[in-house]
Amino acid sequence: MLQIDGVSYRYRAASSPALQDVSLNIPANGVYGLLGPNGAGKTTLISLLAGLLTAAIGRISLNGQPLAAIRAANPRAIALVPQDYAFYPMLSVSENLRFFGGVLGLQGAELKTQIEAATAFARLEQVVGKRAEQLSGGLRRRLNLAIGLLGQPQLLLLDEPTVGVDPQSRHFLLDAIAALPAAGTTVIYTSHYMEEVEAICQKIAIIDQGQVLTEGTLDNILHSQESSLELHLAQALPDSIATLYAASTEGECKYRLKLPSTAALPRLLDELAAAGCSVRDLSLGQHNLEQVFMQLTKRSLRD
Amino acid sequence: MSPRLLALWLKETIALLRDRHGLLALFIMPTLFILIMTMALRDAFTPGASIDAAYVVVDLDQSAHSQSLIKRLDKAAAFHRHQFNNDPEAARQGILSGQHALALILPKGFGERLLTPAGADGQPTAPLQLLVDPTLSPALQLAFRNQVMAALGALRADELTQRAGKLFGLPTAPGITEKEWPDEIRSIAVRKDSDERSAKLPSSVQQNVPAWLIFAMFFVVIPVSSIFIIERQQGTLQRLRAMGVPFRLILAGKLLPFFVLNQIQAVGMVLVGMFVVPLFGGEALEMPASLPLLFNWWAVAAAVSLAAVAWALLIASLAKTSEQATILGGVGNVLMGAIGGIMVPKFVMPAVMQKLAALSPMAWGLEGFHSVMLRHGSFADILPSLLQLLTFAAISLTLAIWLNHRALTARS
Repeated sequence: MLQIDGVSYRYRAASSPALQDVSLNIPANGVYGLLGPNGAGKTTLISLLAGLLTAAIGRISLNGQPLAAIRAANPRAIALVPQDYAFYPMLSVSENLRFFGGVLGLQGAELKTQIEAATAFARLEQVVGKRAEQLSGGLRRRLNLAIGLLGQPQLLLLDEPTVGVDPQSRHFLLDAIAALPAAGTTVIYTSHYMEEVEAICQKIAIIDQGQVLTEGTLDNILHSQESSLELHLAQALPDSIATLYAASTEGECKYRLKLPSTAALPRLLDELAAAGCSVRDLSLGQHNLEQVFMQLTKRSLRD
Repeated sequence: MSPRLLALWLKETIALLRDRHGLLALFIMPTLFILIMTMALRDAFTPGASIDAAYVVVDLDQSAHSQSLIKRLDKAAAFHRHQFNNDPEAARQGILSGQHALALILPKGFGERLLTPAGADGQPTAPLQLLVDPTLSPALQLAFRNQVMAALGALRADELTQRAGKLFGLPTAPGITEKEWPDEIRSIAVRKDSDERSAKLPSSVQQNVPAWLIFAMFFVVIPVSSIFIIERQQGTLQRLRAMGVPFRLILAGKLLPFFVLNQIQAVGMVLVGMFVVPLFGGEALEMPASLPLLFNWWAVAAAVSLAAVAWALLIASLAKTSEQATILGGVGNVLMGAIGGIMVPKFVMPAVMQKLAALSPMAWGLEGFHSVMLRHGSFADILPSLLQLLTFAAISLTLAIWLNHRALTARS
């Protein structure tokens, strides 16, 4: 269990803090999603967890022990897979793996075993002899991930691991990452692609402007928000009904209405029928992360 | 041996071997420079070597004495004499058309009045005239003038002794003889040990091999920065830090491969000086023969290398892109070379520029090499150069570490 308690961080010369009183509980052996628009503070949080930055305020512990102590005792316990292709383009895939394995202190048979395991995991067997600079975007992402796995980390930090990847590779990467907890690795996954987070994360946190807006299981988050109804009518919504249900206009004859509960739906439909409005289609309770995010932050994930 | 350091060395070596442009700059460039500059500067370093400026003598006197003067000038052999038809106007035209740079006109009555001071017998003595090409360097004009004066003096002395001999009834050889006076001047370089073999002046190969070796060593800035900037831009340095690799280990991982590379450059350039330069007609490089001197030579090479690699790391830390590093490092090196006596030997510079040269780390290195190779200096003699280079290396390295530390903590 990774516990983040009241962590704040401000970059030198920055006017506002990058993280403000962030507290999260991240269970072991799962994929935890950190969701937020660009500049929300995801990378700062990842950098704190990776030991690249040190928080002046707050506490981070893994299984009750301070993270710094765990890192000092076993530098391989926490691995970072950065957003960039953080390897050597002029080295081949196997040379890169051997280098990063060596830097982790692996040698001999252990190094060989770990390189083989990482290669197999990321399915890089066909390209081991190829220089990294000659790989496609998808293969580069896989190499980036494979390097992160060399030390068999307890905690793997993935910072936007699918940026610039074709759909097939993305699919493969997501499946591979989703399989990691079974092998004993806790994964923290940052992304601004909500479909990815919805697909592989059991628990998520949405952060924006350095603050946690909500945290919990995907199910809870998707259903905890008050019910809203999307309506597509044949004609304009009468003002009286719009006021009653705090409607907002989403498009031409498309509206979003607030319902106290699903039980209020039949009454609304009666009112619409009485006003002579025919309903083309409607959807209720089907939130996705994009909508939740919009409600929480009033802005899009891809801002 | 730490496997982590070993991995860093191996990575750096592979990356370096695959950087063809960098290697080209490090090995081909200095080889070419050594060959070209050794050929170009060959005469500037060889005292008494013939000078590529021709002269003619217009002998209007056609006496035994004028012929004797011409023979004496021929013997000095520093300038080439062209055969000529004794026409002063044609001599002037020859200078204008660039056939020769100098024309010495011996006036009529030159031999007759050789020992008659001007106006002693009431008649003026026609002076010798020297026509010069104004583009010829003043030093060469002066040198030629001095050579004529010397020949003239010797001619007068011979004539005087002969006449005196006749006067006192001493037996003399008939006609005019050019006596071989033991007045040849041989230049001897001043060094600590002066055995016969090494008592020669430095040749241009001895100036150029260490000079261009130093220049080439400093060009490690190109491969060092290209790898380092990739590491920084691609987040590899962050990743290594997250893996718990301290920055000093990353630096150590770079220092050794590039230090070894510099030593290979040193061996390569010495071999070029010893074996390739002679193929092009130059003099072979002579290395000090004794072990202590060779060690001193290596100590200078090692200090230059440390300064060069540290400087390269500083440039790599300052530059944001590899283009910037190439410009910063390249221009910096060319400037250091220009003021440091690499491109233009320090001894031909005016005093002010020689003082300025003392500011260039390349000049410190060259001074160290010259100390060992030309003066066969002891370790104490090269110590000032070593200390300057090592201090420069330490300051550059400290600045590089500080810059990187600042960049990592201020990252946003």
